[in-house]
Amino acid sequence: MKRLSRWARIAGTAISFAAFGVGGLVLALFCFPVVRIGAKSAREREERAQYLVHLAFRFHVRLMELLGVCKLSVRGAERLREPGGQLIVANHATLIDVVLIGSLMPQLDCLVKTGAWRNPFMRGVVRAAGYVPNDLGEAVVEACAARLREGRSLLLFPEGTRSMQGGELGVFHRGAAHVALRSGRPIRPLVITCSPRFLTRGQHWYDVPDRPMSFTIEVGEPIDPRHVTKEDESRGVASRKLTAALRDFYQARLYDRAGRGAGDAIQGRDLQVGHRPDEDGVPFPR
Amino acid sequence: MKTEFHFRDEDLRLSTHLVDDLDLDSIDAVDLAVRVEEKTGLSLTEADLKSIRTIQDIVDLIDERL
Repeated sequence: MKRLSRWARIAGTAISFAAFGVGGLVLALFCFPVVRIGAKSAREREERAQYLVHLAFRFHVRLMELLGVCKLSVRGAERLREPGGQLIVANHATLIDVVLIGSLMPQLDCLVKTGAWRNPFMRGVVRAAGYVPNDLGEAVVEACAARLREGRSLLLFPEGTRSMQGGELGVFHRGAAHVALRSGRPIRPLVITCSPRFLTRGQHWYDVPDRPMSFTIEVGEPIDPRHVTKEDESRGVASRKLTAALRDFYQARLYDRAGRGAGDAIQGRDLQVGHRPDEDGVPFPR
Repeated sequence: MKTEFHFRDEDLRLSTHLVDDLDLDSIDAVDLAVRVEEKTGLSLTEADLKSIRTIQDIVDLIDERL
């Protein structure tokens, strides 16, 4: 019985992947051309496209739940609907984090690797939605901050890529801190846990676990850069401090959770400690 | 480098690698270049920046130009 249900969920996973690709094409070919009619500005066009992406992601999460691929529970979802552009930051647990977070937010800008602009299934979507490509060098920071200043919400993963299979946090890059400092926006941290772990880096899509992935997304209190840094600091120092504070936050959350028995992958593991402040309270790289 | 990034003296040697040892990123590189330009009056090109790997490279570059 268990075996049978596992095969059913492998099929469900395959269907989910296929639906994702087909969905991208359908949006690009049939939906975006329709909703762009009458849009008065590039911004309006992009926000309409992003709203469609949101609906598609909501549908996709529903589909995955019906197919027994995953379950999602969210704590504090209403905080994501607060008006004004929010700088959303999350740990990158699995391949589908973006889909889950996108299903919660009607408008969301993302930083996307440039490969997506060449991927036939994703090209139409990333173009229409006006996502920020990650190959702009240091200009990426300004491009992201500009979105926030326009009142748009933006999602960044400080790890840059998915966490390793065991669930340890990856190295935190300082880009998200730079965006917060440049835009003056507080960071809204999302803590994602997933058990059993699947669709992490280094796993095959068909290594489907024996039960549905159970996701929790906890929407945290904002972290204000002004509480962590001083005004007269160089951005080199400020970004290091803020990144260290962010990493400490995640370390504590994921570690506490493990202590309480959820998130089995993290339990009992010695989480690596990075970016520890030195005696002046200044974070030291690795 | 100490004021810009709060590095400690003992971590700054001529052989120190900027990326591997000090974890500088592309934004830090720009800030560092601006500092060097302010201090020396040189103007550095993008190619100059790309050629810099260690603190010795910075010293050599300044030495060469001045």
